[in-house]
Amino acid sequence: MTINLEILDTAFIYEQDEIVELKTKELVPKMVTRRRLTRAAKIAIYLANAVDFKIGRIVYGSSFGEIPATASILKSIKCNDHISPTDFQNSVYNTAASYLSMLYGNQSEIMTVSSGDNTAQNSLKMGAIKALDGDEILIIATETLNIPNINEVNNCIDYLESGVALKIKVTQMSPNIDINKDNNSIKIPNSLYELFAIAKKFDKTKQNIVEIKI
Amino acid sequence: MTIKNKAYITNTALICCSGDNEEQLFHNICTQNSFIKNDSNYFNNTPAAIGKISSEKSFFDNLLLKCEEVLLHSNLTTFEDTLLVVGSSVGGIAITEEIYLKYGDYKKVDPNYHNIQTIQTILEKKFKFLDGISFSTACTSSANALGYAHEVITKGIYKNVLVLGVDQLSQTTVGGFLSLGVLSSEPCKPFDTSRDGMNVSEAIACLLVQTEPNENSIEICGVGYSSDAYHMTHPHPDGLGAKSAMEKAILKAKITTENINYINAHGTGTSANDSAEAKAIESLFGNITYVTSTKSITGHTLGAAGALEAIICKLIINNQTIPTSTNLNDAENKNINLSTQNISKEINYVVSNSFAFGGNNCSLVFGKVK
Repeated sequence: MTINLEILDTAFIYEQDEIVELKTKELVPKMVTRRRLTRAAKIAIYLANAVDFKIGRIVYGSSFGEIPATASILKSIKCNDHISPTDFQNSVYNTAASYLSMLYGNQSEIMTVSSGDNTAQNSLKMGAIKALDGDEILIIATETLNIPNINEVNNCIDYLESGVALKIKVTQMSPNIDINKDNNSIKIPNSLYELFAIAKKFDKTKQNIVEIKI
Repeated sequence: MTIKNKAYITNTALICCSGDNEEQLFHNICTQNSFIKNDSNYFNNTPAAIGKISSEKSFFDNLLLKCEEVLLHSNLTTFEDTLLVVGSSVGGIAITEEIYLKYGDYKKVDPNYHNIQTIQTILEKKFKFLDGISFSTACTSSANALGYAHEVITKGIYKNVLVLGVDQLSQTTVGGFLSLGVLSSEPCKPFDTSRDGMNVSEAIACLLVQTEPNENSIEICGVGYSSDAYHMTHPHPDGLGAKSAMEKAILKAKITTENINYINAHGTGTSANDSAEAKAIESLFGNITYVTSTKSITGHTLGAAGALEAIICKLIINNQTIPTSTNLNDAENKNINLSTQNISKEINYVVSNSFAFGGNNCSLVFGKVK
C-alpha cells in the first residue's frame, strides 16, 4: 500500500555541538516554562514555529529521546545522589512534544515514535496513515546527543543536535520527491534521515509530493 | 474514513508481579491477593513498595517466551505477516544502567540495547515480522500501541498486529518516582482518602489483534486520544483531558456512556491523578457505571499498563465479572461507583484509561464480540 503526502512546509536545523539560535526567549515568553525546557523541546518549538503549526495532531519521533536528562539521572544514581525531579519528568520520550502542546494549548492527539534508525521512516508511515483522516499533521523529530563524553559511544554522528519538521496532508497527486536518491552527505543521525531528505528537497515554489510505502 | 475491518484481540500472554497467566492474574485481582512488596534494592536503600516479576528467567527471556506463547495459541504459524507494535516507556534503560554503574562510562553501552528499539531488536533475533514500530509516551505507551493497532486494522492496512506492552523495573524509574515523592511504601490505595502514592512495577503484556475473532476474543471498539496541555506531571485538576479521551473513545465506538458497564481506571493511587480521573468519570458517568483500579494488585507497570489492563478488560468481559477494589476503605469521591465486591453481571462494553506525563491521555473501549 502507498499513501501520497503533500508536504505543505518544512524546517530543519542542525549543529555539531549545540544549536545557538532557537529563538526560545521570543517563542516562550514565560521564564518559568522556558527554564524547564529540554534541548529537544526548544528545537521542537523552534521548528513548529518555523512551519507555523500550533494546533493539530502531531507525530513526534526520536530514537534516543531525552539523552541529557537520562545522562544526568545515571550520574546521580552512580554518585548516590537524589535524582532531580525535573530531570526525571524531562526524561520521558514524549517530553518535547508535551512542552509543545502546553505552549500552544494544543489538546490534540500527540504520538511519540521511537524506532531506532527507522524512527523517521516510521514517523512518516504513521503520519501518512493518520493523515488519511483528512487533517494536516505535523511530523517532527529531534535528536539531542550533546552530553559530556558522548564520544565514548558515538563514532558516526557529526551533528549532535538536529531536528526536522514536515507539515503534511494526504493528496491524490503523483509523487515528485524521491526520498531514496538523496545522499546522506551530512552525518545527522540515521533516525532522522528520511525526514531530512524530504525537507532538503522541499521547494516552496511548487507542490511537493512524496509517496510513502506502508 | 470508512471502517474496513473490525479489530479483535484474539490471543494474549502476560507476566507481571501478580501472575504469569490470565487465570492467575484474574484470580489474584478478584481475591485481592497482591504481590507488591517493599523493596529497598532499587534506589539508595530507600524502601518503596514495588511490583517485581518473580521468575527464574531473565526479563527479556520472558519477553521471548510470552511472544512464543501468543504465536503457539494463535491461528498463525509465524509473525511474518504481522505488524509488531511495541509500547514502552524505558526500553533498555536497565541494561544501560547496569553497564554504566559497573564501568562508570558509556564505552560499553550499546545504543541498540539502550533505547525503546531494544525490545524490537531482541525480538527480531527470534521472530521475523512484516514491519515494526515502537511508541514511547511514558505511561500511555502501550495503550497508544493498541490504539494504533485498532487504527491500522480498521483502515484495512494490516490484518495481524502484535501489540506488546513492556517495561522493566530500573533504578531510573524507581528513583525518579521517589524524587517526585509519589511512591507508596505499601500496596497502593487508588481512590481512597488515605492513598499515599503509587507502586512502580514491571510487566510484559502481549496481545494479538486481528480482523477475525475467535471464541475468546473481545473487540477494540474505539480509541480516544487527548492532550492536557497543562503540566508535565500533573493532570488538569478537573480531569478535562481524561474526560475528552473517554468521550472520544465512546464516540468512536458509536455507543453512549449508558452502554458502558465498567471502567478500568488509570487509578495510580497518587493524590492528583485519582482526584482528577474521578472528577472526569463523575462528570461523564455519574455514579452509575462501575469503576475499579487494578493497580493495587499489579502496581503501575508504566508503559506496559495499557496493554496489561486491556488483558484484564478481556478477562472481565469473558468472565462477565467486575472485580472488587483492593485497599479501598473510604472513597474520596463518593459520586462515582467504585465496586466493593466482585459483581457478576452482563458486561457488554468497558473503558480502559491510561494517562501519562506530559498530559498524554488514551482511553480504549472494549466490547463483547457480537
